[in-house]
Amino acid sequence: MNRLTQPGWVRGLLSLVFGLALGSQGLAFLQFLATKTYNPFDVGSWVLGSVVAALTFFAGAGGKKVFHLALMRGLGWQFLGTLAGGFLAEFLRALLPDMEPFGKFGFSEPAWVLGAIVGAVSFLAGAGVLTDWFKWAKGESTPEHHHDPDGWEKYFGVSLDHKVIGVQYTFTSLLLLSYGGLFALLFRTELAKSGMQFLDLNVYNTLMGLHGMVMIVSILLGIAGVMNYLVPLLLGAPDMAFPRINAFSFWIAVPAAVLLLSSMALGGFDTGWTGYPPLALRAPVGIQMFYVGVWVAGWSSILGALNLIVSVLRLRAKGMTAFKMPIFVWAAVATSIISLTATQMIGLAFQLVIFQRVVGMPFFDAAKGGNPILFQHLFWFYSHPVVYVFILPGLGIISELLPVFLRKPLFGYKWIAMSSLAIALVGFLVWAHHMFASGMNEYLRVPFMYSTLLVAVPTGVKFFSWVATIWQAKIPRDMPTPLLFVFAGIFVFLLGGLSGPPNATVSTDLHLTDTYFIVGHFHDTMFGGYVFPFFAALYYWFPKVFAKRLDEKLGKIHFWLMTPSFIFLTLGMMKIGLLGMRRRIADYDPALGFDIWHLLLTISAYLVAASVLIFFINVYKTLKNGEPVTGNVWNSRSPEWQVPSPMPAYNYDRPFEVVGEPYDYGVPGSTYVKM
Amino acid sequence: MEHHQNSGNLLRQGVNVFIILAVLTALEFAVAVTSASMLLLVTMAIIKAGLVLWNYMHVSKLGGEDEGHEDDRESYAFKTETNRLGLWLFLLSDAFLFAGLLVTRFNLMGLTRLPLNQTLGLVVTSVLLISSFFMNRAEVQMSQGNKKGFTTNIVITIALGVVFLLGVLGVEWRLAAAEGVIASANAASAAFYMMTGMHAFHVLTGVIFLLIVLRNTGKGLYNEEKHWPVEAATVYWHFIDLVWIFFYPALYLIGRLM
Repeated sequence: MNRLTQPGWVRGLLSLVFGLALGSQGLAFLQFLATKTYNPFDVGSWVLGSVVAALTFFAGAGGKKVFHLALMRGLGWQFLGTLAGGFLAEFLRALLPDMEPFGKFGFSEPAWVLGAIVGAVSFLAGAGVLTDWFKWAKGESTPEHHHDPDGWEKYFGVSLDHKVIGVQYTFTSLLLLSYGGLFALLFRTELAKSGMQFLDLNVYNTLMGLHGMVMIVSILLGIAGVMNYLVPLLLGAPDMAFPRINAFSFWIAVPAAVLLLSSMALGGFDTGWTGYPPLALRAPVGIQMFYVGVWVAGWSSILGALNLIVSVLRLRAKGMTAFKMPIFVWAAVATSIISLTATQMIGLAFQLVIFQRVVGMPFFDAAKGGNPILFQHLFWFYSHPVVYVFILPGLGIISELLPVFLRKPLFGYKWIAMSSLAIALVGFLVWAHHMFASGMNEYLRVPFMYSTLLVAVPTGVKFFSWVATIWQAKIPRDMPTPLLFVFAGIFVFLLGGLSGPPNATVSTDLHLTDTYFIVGHFHDTMFGGYVFPFFAALYYWFPKVFAKRLDEKLGKIHFWLMTPSFIFLTLGMMKIGLLGMRRRIADYDPALGFDIWHLLLTISAYLVAASVLIFFINVYKTLKNGEPVTGNVWNSRSPEWQVPSPMPAYNYDRPFEVVGEPYDYGVPGSTYVKM
Repeated sequence: MEHHQNSGNLLRQGVNVFIILAVLTALEFAVAVTSASMLLLVTMAIIKAGLVLWNYMHVSKLGGEDEGHEDDRESYAFKTETNRLGLWLFLLSDAFLFAGLLVTRFNLMGLTRLPLNQTLGLVVTSVLLISSFFMNRAEVQMSQGNKKGFTTNIVITIALGVVFLLGVLGVEWRLAAAEGVIASANAASAAFYMMTGMHAFHVLTGVIFLLIVLRNTGKGLYNEEKHWPVEAATVYWHFIDLVWIFFYPALYLIGRLM
């Protein structure tokens, strides 16, 4: 049979099966080398096998030209770079006395670490992200813009166009969302019944930790995607301030994601997503991939934030003074201030553990004067504010969309703009509320309790503004999907907000900490502050990006399937949490009587996953068969909707001028921008 | 705006700033030896940092160097101001890393310090401060179109940077290890190596930037009007100095001997 005569999808499917078998069994073999037991059904191997399968599917369906895409080139170079870095480290170790080269999983641990870093850099060099900078260093000049290929291929190449990069970010984010969701489904299935079903403890722990961190990276990329696409359009700029740094910020997240997932093949880790020492010091090599992956992803965050702040400060349209900026831009700036600065702290915290494990510097070894609490301070100095990084853009989207659909001015524009900044700044002063039970100095508890409760004030300002905007508005009878998601976002975020103060208050937190109550609270804030507004944004701006409108019927099924299941899921978590269900554990005592609850929670988790699947089907169908729409679909006043979709390269033909207030919907005779 | 002033004034300014920095450093040393007042040491470090920020790094340029090019967003002046803002935000981010290292040091060591070689500490600190003086001279020469003066000064800066690196990594690390400051022995020593190592890594990248700028000057890429890469490398170099202004007292002067 001639391979080339078959249709693409047959070749793709065959390659998929081949890749899945090769990937899963190859990794199972790697596990065998380390543990001397061969388990062909090892969950971790199959998850990673699916990554390999995705690539072989892509290559099989697309044919030879796929290998010329920057993405594939980068991955190939990352593989080679990892080998090169690993062998270099082994060579150096062989020169030193008392060092055994190679170890479990092929390389020794230092070799894996060096290999991971060299691999990430090789990805960037191989994909061509660094080319222009190398030329500049050599004194050569490069063209200001690069021409993107037409069609889908531009999304797999190194583009400098913020709109392409925004789509790349969002797509990668959704891919990671699927992986994070898959991990959750796997351990949720395990939890459906007490006793151990099909996961072993190490895999359970690894899935738990990776669910957390993969979702965090997914959210970081998701907000970066929306901000990247929108902010230059809202500002009236042709692009971000630094297009090359923009491309760099996106592409560095790809090897980071690969590193994160690869932790599964190297023995996993059992610390959860926080990676606390001293447990982290005894975890398998997988934790190093986790640390290095997050460290690399951090650069995406830092440089993306830098780019965004500079763009907002420098590239606003004529007449766009601070208090004429769209609320989303305010939110994006507030979020970026945190990403730019605090990310360094988690980078440092992880770096210290990497060094302790590789070189033996005893930062967290109490017997040698180290202090494990130090890690927690550095870690939470980032990891608390980062939840505001996740939610502020989402809350900005809510404020952005409400007036459009309700045809009413946004209530208290200035207050809501400042509340984003206030949340971001107060957010820097609350981190130790994660450590009430950690053994830190007790006198620290009280100030951190009050500073945490203080966050409720600017957040309350936002709710007040939303309620006042909704007040006496004519709510459309047949609510469009984005509005549904906005309303659900407000409600779910309220649930998250109200379940917060009990955790901020020391007396109740000492009881609630490390229970499912925290898990329920946290997921409410993340879904209310990020997931629901993110989907609202996807439904709302999809016609701008692709000039096709997502199917309303599927959108509503997505919404009505997801919202009740999700609310049940988190309220159920809070309930059993209050009754004593501990978080992160793989098994629980049937005498607690939680079996039925866990079963129900698992079912609702599957329903949430099914709703997201419907969203993907919707996207696929719309891109394939959707009717073109080029106009101002939502009758918005915002500048990006005043020109036909999709946006041309370099955005607006002529710069626009801001002449009015951004949210004066329903005010006769007012306009925001003059095109 | 330096190109509006004459070179004599600028030289005098650079020398004055350097003298104040040198005197303050000597004072720090004296204070540490006699009274070990942490308050005084921190105050002096902040004054030194302010001098470097204001006179060497020209932080005031962030407020907008000259007006009038806001409309032409393709102009070199507009782009330079955008680049400058980006660089400073990067330094702000980087400053958080170094602040985290200082937090690490004080968390692990408290108000004690390691048995380090004081003479050597003073010598490497001086070397870095002197390199900042020459870096400042180099930038002034470039802004006045004196390529030859620029080259001389930047070569001296690079040489001093290399001397600093050799001093810290080659001599200081060896002497410290001989005194029992061993990275794997205790957390305090580990913090010392982490701080000096991270700083040395930044010095190394700074040297590389300066070499690139030096080479591209030879190719004739910069002139008195357009030399953003020179300014960027300069500001970065002074930033490394700025970090050391805090690291030096934190590692060598503050606290009682362990």
